[in-house]
Amino acid sequence: MSASLRSLAPLCQLAPGATGRVCELTGDEGFCQRVRELGFGEAALVTKISGTTTSLCLVNGTRLALNHHAAMSILVETLPANAR
Amino acid sequence: MKLPSHITPPPPRRHSPDRTPVYAIVGNPNCGKTTLFNALTGLRQKVGNYPGVTVEKKIGTTWSQHGRPIQIIDLPGAYSLAARSPDEAVLRDVLFGRREDTPQPDRIICVVDAANLERNLYLVHQILDLGRPVIIALNMMDMAAGAGLKVDAGELEGELGIPVIACEAVHGRGLVELKLAMSRVDLPLARHRWDVPGPVAPAVAELQASLAQNDARPPLVARAEALLLLTDFDTVRVAGSKPLSARTHEILDQWRKRWEGEGADWPAALIRTRYNAIAHLCRNVITRPGTSRPSLSDRIDAVLCHSIWGWAVFGVIMAALFYSIFSLAEPPMDFIDGHVAALGDWVKGAMAPGDLRDLITDGIIAGVGGVVIFLPQILILFFFVGLLESTGYMARAAFIMDRPMSKVGLNGRSFIPLLSGYACAIPGIMATRSIENAKDRLVTILVTPLMSCSARLPVYLLMIAMVLPGEAVSPVQKAGLMLLMYALGTIGAFGFAWLFKRTLFQGGSPHMILELPAYQPPRFKDILRHMVERGWLFLKNAGTIILAISIVLWALTTYPKHPDPEATATEQIAHSFAGRAGHVIEPVIKPLGFDWRIGIGLITSFAAREVFVSSMGVIFGVEGDDEDTTPLRDALHAAHWPGGAPLFTPLVCLTLMVFYVFAMQCMATLAVVKRETNSWRWPLFQTFYLTGTAWLVCLVLYQTGRALGY
Repeated sequence: MSASLRSLAPLCQLAPGATGRVCELTGDEGFCQRVRELGFGEAALVTKISGTTTSLCLVNGTRLALNHHAAMSILVETLPANAR
Repeated sequence: MKLPSHITPPPPRRHSPDRTPVYAIVGNPNCGKTTLFNALTGLRQKVGNYPGVTVEKKIGTTWSQHGRPIQIIDLPGAYSLAARSPDEAVLRDVLFGRREDTPQPDRIICVVDAANLERNLYLVHQILDLGRPVIIALNMMDMAAGAGLKVDAGELEGELGIPVIACEAVHGRGLVELKLAMSRVDLPLARHRWDVPGPVAPAVAELQASLAQNDARPPLVARAEALLLLTDFDTVRVAGSKPLSARTHEILDQWRKRWEGEGADWPAALIRTRYNAIAHLCRNVITRPGTSRPSLSDRIDAVLCHSIWGWAVFGVIMAALFYSIFSLAEPPMDFIDGHVAALGDWVKGAMAPGDLRDLITDGIIAGVGGVVIFLPQILILFFFVGLLESTGYMARAAFIMDRPMSKVGLNGRSFIPLLSGYACAIPGIMATRSIENAKDRLVTILVTPLMSCSARLPVYLLMIAMVLPGEAVSPVQKAGLMLLMYALGTIGAFGFAWLFKRTLFQGGSPHMILELPAYQPPRFKDILRHMVERGWLFLKNAGTIILAISIVLWALTTYPKHPDPEATATEQIAHSFAGRAGHVIEPVIKPLGFDWRIGIGLITSFAAREVFVSSMGVIFGVEGDDEDTTPLRDALHAAHWPGGAPLFTPLVCLTLMVFYVFAMQCMATLAVVKRETNSWRWPLFQTFYLTGTAWLVCLVLYQTGRALGY
């Protein structure tokens, strides 16, 4: 399914406890590459721990804090609870 | 990835027995590199449980099992060789042999966090491209086991064909095996095979050839650099400050335009390909638990990073810090104070009156002793800062502070240097190297001295004792006034950051991604060692800089002698060199409520802020006409203007504290700012804007206070 047909939302809008799949990165090139290098690129699974303005997430067992601007630049699709 | 036919991989390097081999310790931030470095070399470099503790290379020596020396370079952590901050650039430049002051390492120890293996292997994967012998230290195996992960070091060794040592550097486990591996003369090269996406291969080959031919890169470095340039087109991030040749630039631009025209994101594909290769590598290495439960760190974070509870805990920690400084430090301070006074009395009793006796009592003992009594409070401050660093709370503080920081145009990452600035501005300014955005880094450097450092403590404590004297005043009130000064500095730092981000350093909102380490129990041994080091440094300053300034100041207040032998001590100081200099600057500081004697203290404390206290000890100590050493506080209380009005009124004491909150009075900080910004422009700017602000704020405060009748 293409990204446009899926329901994408910025990472900051992912509910605490929910898991999403990273579908698109919208920041500048340097930011996108660093996010990918951290293993946070497209197709990575991310679990939101807490936060709305500053988000606390779990990616591949790593706890990452992202500010609002960074979390807005990462678009995810929420996965259903039974798909995690 | 296969090498082009015209490049032959070098044979595994054997270091000749008569040459000291050089190892570099590299890895992601906060994976335990410095702990391992300390364990191997016996050195005591600072460690902490947050990313970005090490920002500059450190060199030490260890010994092979055959008793031969091995040089080890500890490098700052990085997530990738495409450096995005000055500390990551150190790693890149040393590995690529671009630093003239550092030998290019013969061999590399890649420290990886076993609990985050795939992400840590990304950097390892890039380093293996360099074709140099590598040893992998699989660190934090205990943390991985705690997270329910089983990591098979033998399997990884089998896959890569290089030594992979499971270790726990913090507990000293695996060090013997690591040293044995380091002692091997014939370290094998990795079986490092990965295929770049087909359309990227010609670009890699073309760039690599150009880098080798036009930029004088060795073949394997050229290949590694070509791969990095195609992953990240920003040449400064990859190639550093030395510009690439026009031909290499041209080739890079051609490929970039071609790929943009095709709408293909090959740089992203390159990263994905690396991660796919890493996933393939790890397929039999990691066994994950069937179900995942929230870890202890997750549960603690649910409280400490909570939007309300997080702030409450942060406030409690800060309040506890300041309360402890007053409540716990009092007995040892009284002990030191009593002994300093007794020493002064003893010298006065044992020596005949004269200049030498005055030099020892009023110059050395009053000056140095006046500062040394604050040692217990300095130690308490460093104990608390050490606790925050060791447990992993430092990164959480940055997380909590991100929101207010974003209001002024910075992000939470800038808060770690600011928080370090509470202890000392110098490590705080050094810590800005982990900030990726150059403008944000400079703004953080400019405002860090506003965070009240430990050198201000003696000044604050002396003035608080003047404003709130006596045993009857509770420590809570004193701590409250101290907290107010710290808050004022913090608000000032935020205010100026806001101003700078809207004027001199305009830019968009910065992105922040910060790794939060797992919580660890505090390592009291490291904390105590750090406290002792900082305490020793404080005493060393007292024994050198402060001692020298006290002697010079005593001489300046003693000579030339007043022509009238019956002149009072005040008349003598007024007649002295210091008195004359003080009178010159008095018109500038008089509107702030300060007289020429305070002015001398302000000038001498440009060397270091705590010198103010010793200067007051020397200047007001000579006024004591009796044989007993007068406590400094009492001497200041007795000081008055020529008209008879008291000099150190509560308003003046408060104004002095506020002056020290804002004024730039630390030569060592200025030297570090010069080094970090590579220019005198910024330290000079910092001096003028901070000292100017201090003068203006104090003018408003004092004059308003006077108008209100204080």
